[in-house]
Amino acid sequence: MSTYREDLKSRFAALGLVVIVMLAVLLVRLWTMQVLSGESYAAQAENNRVREISLDAPRGSIYDRNGVPLVVNRAALAVSVDPSEDTVRLLLIRSQNEDTDDDPTKREIEERFGALSELLGMTSSEVWAKVSDVRVEALRPRVVAVDVPIGIVSQLAERQTEFPGIEVDEIAVREYPQGQLAAHLLGYTGEISEEQLAGSDKNAGYEFGEIVGKTGVEAQYENVLQGDKGWRRIEVNASGKAQRVVNEQPPVPGRSVKLSIDIEVQRVAEKALADAITEAHRQDFPNAKAGAAVVLDVKTGEVIAMASAPTYDPSIFLGPISTVTWEKLTDKASEYPLNNRVIMAAYPPASTFKAVTGLAGLEYGVTYENKTYTCKGKWTEMGEQWPKWCWKHTGHGTISFRTGVAQSCDVVFYEIGYEFYKRKKEELQTMARSFGFGAKLGIDLSGEVKGRVPDAAWKSEFNADYPEYQMWLPGDTVNMAIGQGDLLASPLQMAAAYGAIGNGGTVMTPHVMLEILPGIGEDGKTYEPTVAAKADVSETSLAVMKRALVDVTTKGTALAVFRGFDVTVAGKTGTAQVAGKDDYAWFTAFAPASDPQYAVAVVVEEGGHGGSVAGPAARQILAQLFGLKVEQVHATDESR
Amino acid sequence: MDKTPYRRFRNVVNLPLVVWTIALLIYGTIMVSSATTGMSSGMLRRQLIGIALGLVPLGAAWLLDYKLLKHWTGPLLVALSILLISPRIPGLGYEVGGATSWLQVFGVRLFQPSEPAKLIFIAVMAAAVADFKGRIDKPRDVIRVLSYVALALVLILLQPDLGTGLVFVAIAGGMLLVGGLKARWFLVLGLAAALALGGVVLVDSALDNMAGSDVALKDYQKDRLLVFIDNTRAPQGAGYNLAQSKIAIGSGGISGKGLAAGTQSNLHFLPERHTDFIFAVLGEELGFTGALMLLGLYLALLMSALAIATSSRDLYGALICAGIISMWAFQILENIGMTIGMMPITGIPLPFMSFGSSAMVTNLGAVGMLLSVWSRRYGT
Repeated sequence: MSTYREDLKSRFAALGLVVIVMLAVLLVRLWTMQVLSGESYAAQAENNRVREISLDAPRGSIYDRNGVPLVVNRAALAVSVDPSEDTVRLLLIRSQNEDTDDDPTKREIEERFGALSELLGMTSSEVWAKVSDVRVEALRPRVVAVDVPIGIVSQLAERQTEFPGIEVDEIAVREYPQGQLAAHLLGYTGEISEEQLAGSDKNAGYEFGEIVGKTGVEAQYENVLQGDKGWRRIEVNASGKAQRVVNEQPPVPGRSVKLSIDIEVQRVAEKALADAITEAHRQDFPNAKAGAAVVLDVKTGEVIAMASAPTYDPSIFLGPISTVTWEKLTDKASEYPLNNRVIMAAYPPASTFKAVTGLAGLEYGVTYENKTYTCKGKWTEMGEQWPKWCWKHTGHGTISFRTGVAQSCDVVFYEIGYEFYKRKKEELQTMARSFGFGAKLGIDLSGEVKGRVPDAAWKSEFNADYPEYQMWLPGDTVNMAIGQGDLLASPLQMAAAYGAIGNGGTVMTPHVMLEILPGIGEDGKTYEPTVAAKADVSETSLAVMKRALVDVTTKGTALAVFRGFDVTVAGKTGTAQVAGKDDYAWFTAFAPASDPQYAVAVVVEEGGHGGSVAGPAARQILAQLFGLKVEQVHATDESR
Repeated sequence: MDKTPYRRFRNVVNLPLVVWTIALLIYGTIMVSSATTGMSSGMLRRQLIGIALGLVPLGAAWLLDYKLLKHWTGPLLVALSILLISPRIPGLGYEVGGATSWLQVFGVRLFQPSEPAKLIFIAVMAAAVADFKGRIDKPRDVIRVLSYVALALVLILLQPDLGTGLVFVAIAGGMLLVGGLKARWFLVLGLAAALALGGVVLVDSALDNMAGSDVALKDYQKDRLLVFIDNTRAPQGAGYNLAQSKIAIGSGGISGKGLAAGTQSNLHFLPERHTDFIFAVLGEELGFTGALMLLGLYLALLMSALAIATSSRDLYGALICAGIISMWAFQILENIGMTIGMMPITGIPLPFMSFGSSAMVTNLGAVGMLLSVWSRRYGT
């Protein structure tokens, strides 16, 4: 008996030891969790408990120079689905766990969202796609439809019990009181793309689904217009149901921007451009579909109007955009209506460039106002085998430099160009660059092209693979002198260059923002004009050129266009030859000639002649600028 | 025989056991009341009723001479079988969390039969083990003892209630240790159990595939086991409970967030917070200090039970004590262990702490049995 009593004692000791070890193990583990890692768990608990949702800031408005609203916010009714509603949450959990077999079936989705989707005119899978988008913050209501008609909203309200977890909110969407006017300049907004999101400044706090400026001013001044998001920290329970607001910071609305645009001039510019295209069709240039017009303030570089045709309606980007619409907007057949041709297109400037060639000739002593030339129509100075023709094949006869500009005589400029070739100093290129050609002017819009000022170095590099085409030939300079050959310029560059001729030789940086209006706690900002380039010309040369350009509209190729126009205009017609296409019509000008205020450039792709198609458009625009009667004139022009 | 009133009192009342039990009951009541904040107001009352109900078996077991049980093995085995089978009888079972472990009559949920079954199992095992007079080595003897365990396990796994099955195994283990099962048998049995468990998971997966449905071991049970091995497996499923429980306990820090101030618990991140996961509430609201206090109380309780065991005048009484100690110890280890990720998640309540009358009544009954052994230590 006593032996097993002894045994029993040691066995109970063993049992006691097991108990002690066991409790000790639990204690050690609790020590590490609660004391050593307590803070990390506390952070996790906090994270569990508090959800942050961001509060969108209202986007700033955009006004024209006179304060006319161009882009504002409008309240729209949006229908959204609350992700924390029990049935929705269960479906979401099942769609988000690893087990794909567990994903909600089509039938379950139809059951849950069928009635709603029918009401909204969507399919239930479209609704589900919006609800289940994992890129949206967990607690953020999933917007499934924007701009829902009030009739449908009132049905949702009346039958509330049939639509659990469905909310109707007022959200701000962009509105364009001026319709399509200035669409290219203003740009459009849309949901941030994944690339944009990845490339965005982390401090800006962009989120998936955020509406941002995509093009134009909306994109350029995105950080001004966007404002600062606010946040609201909400305590939630395990079901994700909000219990109370912990704290919040209200959003700071975006600041508004005042543009240099005068919407009335813009309206006329767009109408004039459309009229010019119609006029081109009438003059038997059926391929004319596209064009651009721009007005600059010659003293400040402010953009007064900026029109590009064809255009588009920025409001189509407010909702989901269909693939068909998008393809149409980005298709060559529809002439890329999204492109802002004023800054994105580079054309041969043709005879409008003769002003620059002429100034180079005057400045470097190659010509002078009354120097006479003989135009026989055919010009063979470079050799009989390389004949070149004046647009007037019968010839202008004996003609002065000044009249050569007015009549746009090609031979005069062939002579000047050939002289520059022989001098081998690339002075023509130097002059062109000093007027801002071949480089971006630095307008506050993205997508500006540089254009091209061809020279020997460029040609040899451009033809690196074709040694036989590398040499700079006399014809290259001669062609450039009449604005053809490899020379390319954007309508913006032409307007800026004519502005410089008008203002005494300073190329002002074109600018569309006039003022950033002050916001809450943020100062406003007024634009100070800056200089983009200083033209390499003297007052004397400019005075000669100005006289010659006035001749263009009073006795030259644009005589018919400006007959009866009360303001003296210094301008130049141009008719650009483009391989395989009809001629491009140009007109560039500044006015009034005595005290220039505005520079205008108009181009119509495949529109025919500058004097008959582009000139009348410029006249309408100038008429609006000077408060004259805006009327469409019909003129004929055979020059180039 | 001592004649002073105090001595006479000490003869029948083991003061430490009673004191620690009362302390645990108070602690448990405080925690349940904190964990049920915001629930229907009857929860605390139900807990107190459970304690009151438990006083009945406590008193009965105390008054009853435990030695009588030794001769009732037959009827006790029948009672054990009925208790364990009853939930499977159509109309009597009520399913909670995948297991049919509740008894209901006419739609009224009565109690979890597996809880009192633990005590009956202890009595049956004690009689079986005591027969060998402290030495179990012959294979035939081992098989005889194990057949009782096997019977209980088969019945309990029918429910199926994996957790309670593990408690039975632990009870048997502790009693066999005290009852003199040789060390090498523990080794052999331990290995066999490990192999069997591994085998069951593999075979069950194969069976599920073959049958095309969830047969044998339920998927949620397999999940719990696998989550224990890799708790990142299913954060929204079984792993979610564990993750939330660990966050609750860990975030309690040294002194806790204060009673009823646990965000994990009050915002419902913690599942089963007043029952199986009550320790997570304690860990969150009272911190390491509170946990240390609880473990201290448990240590004291188990040590006083151990003292009673060693005082027993016979092996049978000692074995009953060993069974109860093993039951409590394992349930403490398993329940707290699961809340901190050391043990698989099962539905085993924490003794004297978890909300639930079946367990409360059973545990107080166990206290009564201990007191019965204590008060009869000098024999008659």
